[in-house]
Amino acid sequence: MRIILTLLGKDFANLRRNRSALVLSFMVPMVIIYVVGLVFGLGRSDSGPSGIPLAVVNQSDNPAAQKLVAALQAEKSFHVITEFVNPDRTIRPLTETDLRPLIRDRRFSYALVIPPDVLSETQLGLHLKILSDPRNDIESQTVNGLLQKTIFTHVPDLLGQSLQARAKKFLGNPKLSEFNGSIATAVAKAFGGDPAKIKADIEQGNFGLEELAASPAKPGAASSTGGDILSKLVKIDTEQVVGKDVKSPTATRIVGGYAVMFLLFALSNSSAAFFSEKNSGVFQRVLSAPVSRAQLLWSRFFYGILFGLIQLLALFFAGHLLYGVDVFGHFGNLLVVCACVAAACTSFGMLLSALTRSPEAAASLATLLVITMSACGGAWFPVSFMPEFMQHIARFTIVYWAIDGFGGVLWAGNSFGQMLPTLGILLSITAVAMTIAVWRFNRSRIFD
Amino acid sequence: MLTLDHITKRYGSLTALDDVSLNIAPGEFFGLLGPNGAGKSTLMSLIASLRAPDAGGITLDGIALSTADAAGRLTLGLVPQHIALYLELNPEQNLGIFGQLYGLRGADLRARIDEALDAVQLNDRRRDQVKTFSGGMQRRLNLAAALLHRPKLLLCDEPTVGVDPQSRNAIFEYLERLNREGLTIIYSTHYMEEATRLCSRIGIIDHGKILALGTLDELLTQLPFEEEIRFSANAATATLAPALAVQGELTTHDGIHRFRPRAGAKLSEFYSLTESRGLPARLFTSQRPTLEALFLHLTGRTIRE
Ligand SMILES: Nc1ncnc2c1ncn2[C@@H]1O[C@H](COP(=O)(O)OP(=O)(O)OP(=O)(O)O)[C@@H](O)[C@H]1O
Ligand SMILES: [Mg+2]
Repeated sequence: MRIILTLLGKDFANLRRNRSALVLSFMVPMVIIYVVGLVFGLGRSDSGPSGIPLAVVNQSDNPAAQKLVAALQAEKSFHVITEFVNPDRTIRPLTETDLRPLIRDRRFSYALVIPPDVLSETQLGLHLKILSDPRNDIESQTVNGLLQKTIFTHVPDLLGQSLQARAKKFLGNPKLSEFNGSIATAVAKAFGGDPAKIKADIEQGNFGLEELAASPAKPGAASSTGGDILSKLVKIDTEQVVGKDVKSPTATRIVGGYAVMFLLFALSNSSAAFFSEKNSGVFQRVLSAPVSRAQLLWSRFFYGILFGLIQLLALFFAGHLLYGVDVFGHFGNLLVVCACVAAACTSFGMLLSALTRSPEAAASLATLLVITMSACGGAWFPVSFMPEFMQHIARFTIVYWAIDGFGGVLWAGNSFGQMLPTLGILLSITAVAMTIAVWRFNRSRIFD
Repeated sequence: MLTLDHITKRYGSLTALDDVSLNIAPGEFFGLLGPNGAGKSTLMSLIASLRAPDAGGITLDGIALSTADAAGRLTLGLVPQHIALYLELNPEQNLGIFGQLYGLRGADLRARIDEALDAVQLNDRRRDQVKTFSGGMQRRLNLAAALLHRPKLLLCDEPTVGVDPQSRNAIFEYLERLNREGLTIIYSTHYMEEATRLCSRIGIIDHGKILALGTLDELLTQLPFEEEIRFSANAATATLAPALAVQGELTTHDGIHRFRPRAGAKLSEFYSLTESRGLPARLFTSQRPTLEALFLHLTGRTIRE
């Protein structure tokens, strides 16, 4: 063990002196993750106080509409513009007719109009108008998502009112009143409270979603039929309201995908360093000491895992700072996944150097395989974008399972038990690759 | 101390060592002299149990060495032919790592690093990256790294290749001191001057075979002449050749004639011959034969061919 620790210390001391490896392993992926993240519209949604400029024109006198504007103003991701500055520097409220020329002037790319008929009787949901400059497709999707999120989380009354308005159209006033009454009774029965007050709230469109948004519904709390209906309704809303931020899967995939790609590069490079050690004679010196071949190989393996762990965590931490990837929410599981991914990538690097005859051959084969695996495995774009046969091929790459693991932890928030199949696959890859690598090492000329 | 018993080592179809047997006594300074590709490094690597022989066995202090048994290497130090150091790191770090591989720790390790760096005169460069060192400095450190754990047997594989005379001398003096202090050394080289100066016993190796073995004097008595006369091959000396062939052995390499009088023949006969041809004595140098001559005699080639 001491010998392995000594060799590990040696590898890290060497790494510290190897500036190009450090830059390639840490700086380059960070920059690429940052740039790719911007391309996919990640940064805009979270870029601090200034945010995405969003013009808002409120033509409705519904108090909930006013609340929506306030909520948008509170949303860090948006910089809400409601005023028009005249040439003489006087200020007046923005109107809908101002919007199009200003968008064309690129003063802002998005504008939200809340029309007088924000609550339509013919349609469930809200009637909002979004004007945008389609220059950045992805960004407008992000803006859409963020708008929805803001509405769901901050102004659920609007939705409630919409529901009520639509119900009124279908049921007519008396029946709606009866319906509301039965819901109110059910709610009161399930959660306590005064049925009359609850009914009045419901008629105002207040389903209590605001509280639900703050604290998820307790499943199984309701027992009556009315309660069941409500809990179903709430459950749907809860998922939308409490569900993860819309940007996370993309951010997780980008950070995870590029991190794995660069880890594969770094580790196949460091395995190639195995060769230069051999050629330089250091190998001979180490093996002429009381060090066994196995210790030499395992120290390489542990070094790879430690290095990979450090690199992955550093890049995820960067992802956290840049794009709000939730690193700390599931840190323990993330650590386990990273260790398994690092193990798989290390075994890949060692297999490469075991199968090739020179550092140059190892390096070019590594470049080819890493790039292919990254493309097929979903590091660059989601696997679901690819034709079906490619999706099957993807499953044979380390990258695919790494991203699967990262997504499982960081986005889906899977428990350790739920992670086991993915971890099992990563560790199986490791076991198979290491077995072949060790077998080849013992036979190949690297020791001869 | 060290016994090699009918060692054979092949690389594929090439036989790098062919039935080599050798005995090294404690305290010996043994020289392995041979040209490129003779099998010197292969022999070293077998003794260091980096490789296993295809036939035969090696015992160190009565214990059989094997590639699988790491503990047997504790009493052994190897100075590889190539610079076997972490070039990105400094001497202190390098020696620290190699010392730790031999189980050295803490104050003891630090003391030995100081001592080793002093011995090879690198103390003032102890914190500089090894890759910034000159060839000679790297060679000195390469040597120091093999001595940290105080081995009983030191294997030096051409430790002076590419070294300036000053560094070379420093290495020689250090090795001679260590040998006086009781260290057994096996020293491979293709410089006969090194073998002549350093080694108490010399083995001449070529094509994987030990051709001759003994002290310098023992080796040189294998030559059928005691004196060698050299002169350049040119028009003036051309006519000498047929006449000399009767008196002894004449060989020519690189424009130099070497004449070895037959045993018992007198040098005066040679000089009376040259005088009679009007060739002045200054054209001829006479000297005691060298290992080089022995190698030539044994193989028909010079050692650097
Ligand atoms: N790993 C190897 N694989 C195949 N052949 C080898 C290997 N190592 C050495 N040889 C061959 O074995 C023979 C002996 O090589 P070795 O390195 O032992 O010679 P050497 O005496 O050390 O030469 P030099 O003075 O050049 O270092 C050479 O013909 C060489 O080509
Ligand atoms: Mg050699």
